Amino acid sequence: MNMFKKTMLIVTASAAMSMGPVLNALADGHGNKGMNVPTIEASALMSGLENPWDMAFLPDGTMFFTEKCKGLSVRTKSGSVNALYGMKGSKGYSAAGNDLFCDGQAGMLGVVADRDFAKNRTLYVYSTSNKYHGSGCKTNFERCDGNIVMRFKVSSDLKSVSDRTDIVKDIQYKPFKSNQPFGGPGAHNGGRLRIGPGGYLWVTGGDRHRGICPQDGTLLCGKVLRIDGDGNAHPDNNPPAGFDKRIYTYGHRNVQGIDFRPSDGRAFTSEHGPWHNDEITGLVNGGNAGWDPAEKRGGRSACPDKYCGYEPNQKEGMNPAIRSAYTPMSDTRFKDLMPSAWNNNGFSQGTGSAAFLKGSNWGIYEGRLAVGIMGIAFGGTPAGSRIDMIDITTDGLGIKGIVRMPVGATKRFRGLVMGPDNALYAATDEGEIYKITAK
Amino acid sequence: MIHKFATGLLFSLFLVFPAYASSGDKKAGEVRYNKTCINCHGPAGKGAASYPKISGNEVSYTKTKLETYRKGEEIGPNSALMIMMAKPLTDEEIANLAAYLKDAKYENKN
Repeated sequence: MNMFKKTMLIVTASAAMSMGPVLNALADGHGNKGMNVPTIEASALMSGLENPWDMAFLPDGTMFFTEKCKGLSVRTKSGSVNALYGMKGSKGYSAAGNDLFCDGQAGMLGVVADRDFAKNRTLYVYSTSNKYHGSGCKTNFERCDGNIVMRFKVSSDLKSVSDRTDIVKDIQYKPFKSNQPFGGPGAHNGGRLRIGPGGYLWVTGGDRHRGICPQDGTLLCGKVLRIDGDGNAHPDNNPPAGFDKRIYTYGHRNVQGIDFRPSDGRAFTSEHGPWHNDEITGLVNGGNAGWDPAEKRGGRSACPDKYCGYEPNQKEGMNPAIRSAYTPMSDTRFKDLMPSAWNNNGFSQGTGSAAFLKGSNWGIYEGRLAVGIMGIAFGGTPAGSRIDMIDITTDGLGIKGIVRMPVGATKRFRGLVMGPDNALYAATDEGEIYKITAK
Repeated sequence: MIHKFATGLLFSLFLVFPAYASSGDKKAGEVRYNKTCINCHGPAGKGAASYPKISGNEVSYTKTKLETYRKGEEIGPNSALMIMMAKPLTDEEIANLAAYLKDAKYENKN
């Protein structure tokens, strides 16, 4: 056989061998889950919004959404939009709360519908408010209550809300700028609201740039709360003795994502790291997420404005691994530490929100945690804005795999929510709400 | 004679005020902007999250801000971040960014 024929034979044989399994997959289609890689497509459902932060769906596709400096609106299933509840200075809303304001990262953030919305028309919204400052908030080094959870009744025509009741009035807020990078007021509020197993309300918090916050059980900053619709603690919450009973877990830095694993209902949070170690963490009742940015603890000396969160050398870039040894995201000195499942390879890129992918249309990705990441490319860390799909181990302490969702756009994905149509909806800081389908 | 004098005067003005003589390259500014600045300030400098809108300002305004940060001087609470971002910028890049941002507008393609 001459060289040409030999070559052709080898080429043809190789082609046949590699085509074989592909053809089998095409023939198998959706019957074989192992090969079921869905086609993922994204398109902007809404655009031109101003810092959309979170969405909440009703089963018929009605979508409530918040805009951080403007307020609460609803997009009806026909596509029309009603502006329901505004903030100080916003216009065009059917009602407004003049105590609600935005500053830096703070403003109107999370929104979620009650599990029994069809009966009780109840909606919960997280926002910054000056109503409960009291005699606090005169310096950054005292208790300043300035983030709240409100409960509303939504009218049957979706054109207005009423009966505003502030069910949590005492989540702390940062009133002034401090000597930190990103040191402006209103830092680190957490702000995500979700309904978990049993219909209880979960509220995620942030450390508001106050060093003592996350480990202090009398304050709600740096905590994840589990409460009922009136703001009372879940009876089975089990934080350490002396802690506020509304606390489910403590020791958090800035949690903007929480969702519940479909297989067992376990809560998982996604959390922003400082210059290192974003985290996905499986929560344990009463557990410590391990963040302690207080000065003169954990082997540290004094820190700028008593907050070690960006130290050492906080104004410049530094190898994340070296910096994380000083103020770790998960300090192993705590006996009740909840170790993270994933830490973004030691990077901090702005891990903001999370939603478990639901529906067989997601194929092999069904049950994975979709995580929205918004990078700023500080100090040599790549920006990395994306949505990852993470396959978390059963024990919640590691990952089996991670795939970047082929969304086709690089955006700051701020809020991820699963829709009733099993599409994933993603709010971006650029002002869109994307609908991401899988088929 | 007057024509020569006027040209000479104009030329010396350019020597004294070089900033006005060298206008930045908008296209190059856009390319440079999309490398890193867009991550915080959003498309076309419209602002995003807690980072401000920086489009629609005079060239001199943007140049002054970037040059101040580049020198390591603090302005607002996010100075640490901006100082790091501005340090590696050349004069040419600053001129280009300022030119781009002056007229940059966010066009919603959806």
